[in-house]
Amino acid sequence: MERRDFLKNLIVGGLVLKLPPGVLAQPSVPELAVVEGESPAAITREAIKVLGGMSRFISRGDKVLVKPNIGWDRTPEMAACTNPEVVAALVAMALEAGAKEVIVMDHTINQPKRCYARSGIQEAARSAGAKVLFTDEQRLKKMTIKGEWLKEWEVFQDFVEADKLINVPVAKVHSLSRVTLGLKNWLGAIGGNRNQLHQKIDQAVVDLGAFFKPALTVLDAYRVLFRNGPQGGRVSDTRLQKTVVAGVDPVAVDAYGATFFEIKPQELAFLRLAQNRGLGKFELEKVRIEKRAV
Amino acid sequence: MKRERSKKYFWLQRLRILTQAGFFLLFFVLFLQTHYPGEDYLKITVERFFHFDPLLLLATSIASRAIFAALLLSLITVAATLLFGRFVCGWLCPLGAVHQFFSFIFKKTRLLKPARDDEASLAPKYLILFVVLAATLLSLNLVGYLDPLSFLYRSFAVFISPLLNLGLAQSGNLAYGLGLKSLGQAISQTAGNLALNGIFQNALLIGVFFLLAVLLNTRKERFWCRYLCPAGALLAIFSRFNLFKLKIDPDKCINCHLCSIHCQTNARPYPVGEWRSPECIYCETCAAICPTAAISFPLRWQAEKMKGVNLDRRRVLLTSITGLVLAPIFKISPLRRRPSPALIRPPGALAEPEFLSRCVKCGECMKVCPTNALHPALTEAGPEGVWTPVLVPRIGYCEYYCSLCTQVCPTGAIRELTVEEKVTVKIGTAWVDKNRCLPYALGKPCIVCEEHCPVSPKAIQLIKVDTLTPEGVLATNLAPFVNVDACIGCGICENKCVVQDLPAIRVSSVGEQRSSHNQLVLPVFEEQDELKT
Repeated sequence: MERRDFLKNLIVGGLVLKLPPGVLAQPSVPELAVVEGESPAAITREAIKVLGGMSRFISRGDKVLVKPNIGWDRTPEMAACTNPEVVAALVAMALEAGAKEVIVMDHTINQPKRCYARSGIQEAARSAGAKVLFTDEQRLKKMTIKGEWLKEWEVFQDFVEADKLINVPVAKVHSLSRVTLGLKNWLGAIGGNRNQLHQKIDQAVVDLGAFFKPALTVLDAYRVLFRNGPQGGRVSDTRLQKTVVAGVDPVAVDAYGATFFEIKPQELAFLRLAQNRGLGKFELEKVRIEKRAV
Repeated sequence: MKRERSKKYFWLQRLRILTQAGFFLLFFVLFLQTHYPGEDYLKITVERFFHFDPLLLLATSIASRAIFAALLLSLITVAATLLFGRFVCGWLCPLGAVHQFFSFIFKKTRLLKPARDDEASLAPKYLILFVVLAATLLSLNLVGYLDPLSFLYRSFAVFISPLLNLGLAQSGNLAYGLGLKSLGQAISQTAGNLALNGIFQNALLIGVFFLLAVLLNTRKERFWCRYLCPAGALLAIFSRFNLFKLKIDPDKCINCHLCSIHCQTNARPYPVGEWRSPECIYCETCAAICPTAAISFPLRWQAEKMKGVNLDRRRVLLTSITGLVLAPIFKISPLRRRPSPALIRPPGALAEPEFLSRCVKCGECMKVCPTNALHPALTEAGPEGVWTPVLVPRIGYCEYYCSLCTQVCPTGAIRELTVEEKVTVKIGTAWVDKNRCLPYALGKPCIVCEEHCPVSPKAIQLIKVDTLTPEGVLATNLAPFVNVDACIGCGICENKCVVQDLPAIRVSSVGEQRSSHNQLVLPVFEEQDELKT
């Protein structure tokens, strides 16, 4: 070895050793990001950053559909619908990541225009750059769901045509499925007599979750509804949790969401069914979770 | 002699047509604006037209023995009519514009051929007016059936609105079918924002009345305005001075009768001295059509002897008595003995007798209701309540945080409420039908009604219920139990119940806050509890 080569190696090697270990080692991105903080928008942004940034989920030119819960004619402090700032932050991030178009829609339970307006989501998402659309009966099409129980059902085509789906549910209690989180949120993407699904709700939400397969699930637990669900009605029915849970695995997100209500994930029938179906894992001890505070 | 039509009156006629179109457009825009505007309170007074209608002021004030302040605006109409005659009918009335438009169409298509000497009496509208006013003395308010604004608005709200909605949906469907996705999207979003109600009970009946009124224009020009309109009759009575007076220049007149043939209301501009000024609506047709420009309407201050329609005293007396006799007949109804379970009134509705004395059946509340819950009654409210609003939970429910129907009532039959006040108003009570309810009857899980109950804490609570199935298994499920004190009767439970034909939970009017006698006597239960302990 010549002296010149030795010196060169020394410099290069020294530089390499100076770099943080993560760059060369296999990156270990957490499966679940749990971020707590005062600002709904900031914790949403941080959660996505923890997961590796929005460009991990959204490609340039994608048509993205963000699906919040806009089910009820309730203002944000009632925690019946997704926090508008969380929705707006995701819309903005998707556009920053190069999405061609971001649509925000939900098949509401109360009158659509009232839900869109009073939830604050229409205005927030629109000013973040999204197309906020009412669902349109003309766009319903009967589709093969291939579920254990649901074989076929009417689905709004906007959800099928989107390149990427981002599910943004709000954490609430429910008297039948005990909690309503990400998987149950897909009831807002379908038409038909949705209320019949309550006769076998756990299987129904798993079948729908398997059908829609979001690129990302972001659970809004900024304000959770712990009583009188799923629409509440008093601010005292809600509790500030100031948290957002994000992940690719919809089952893990819901499992974490259950813990806000002092419910063990294994107690929830739909999570067990979902894991058996291969949608994800609910045993949180097996999930790489990163918690942060902003 | 030189034959030339008057340029001035030609343009005045055009101006009149333009004004009519403008006012009809205003009416239609306000009609479309009668919907949820994206915030809790309507910023514009969408029902403003009604406040300028003196017939509504007169009839509802007498019938209800109270004056609704906003209606006092109609005194402006009265003052203007005193001075200038019935120009309101010819220039401003939106129903008049509709009739004028169709009369014009029917004339062009030869479906209507105006006669030369039309001797048909113009008296019926006055007689209708006297019947209506006499009935109000006994608190019977019949004014809404033929009041032109109520008639037009009701027809639009209940009949035209569903047609528009259907048209929008179908054109959206067509756009998608042709692959024009963005057009389809634009149409569906417009429909979502307009929130037109798509279904009404009795829509066909109300539609038939409207079409009939339109088709009557094939018999006579402006048939409605000539023979039927009680508001026109009232204005005719008020038109005392008619400052712009018809004048025929005898030197120019060639006695062609054109003016008389084409007079929209048969006010007889010709022969000289025959002009019935209270019938004249100042449409300017006669002056514009006159081939020699012999007709003009110069301003003349002095009052002249009016030549009105000949209403002999006997007929006036007879019709007034008819009105007085009608009142008790209209009030014969089993509802006076027992309240109807289906008669669920909108929140803010006054107690039934006061409500009926004020409601003019205009349909404003039905139009504004965001969930299509309010419908024109046929039999639910008795003979005097036909077309009054009734909440039909199976079609729509009362949206919890919405007080829109209370904001648009033009006569105060529905008291204006803030959203905070409205959520406390009880309009009925929900009852579980255990023979149809899934957990009770079939042992299957379903909590849909509980989930939708908007009251907090919920008026529908869940109790554990055991149902023995034929297999001998006890199926334990959560089942609904209504807390009647907390229930406000909004009807969302009935609306969302999975049992489609006859829901397993239904709202009836009992417990409605506006009634003192349509109540359950709950304290009895409490006494029994005390006896037990």
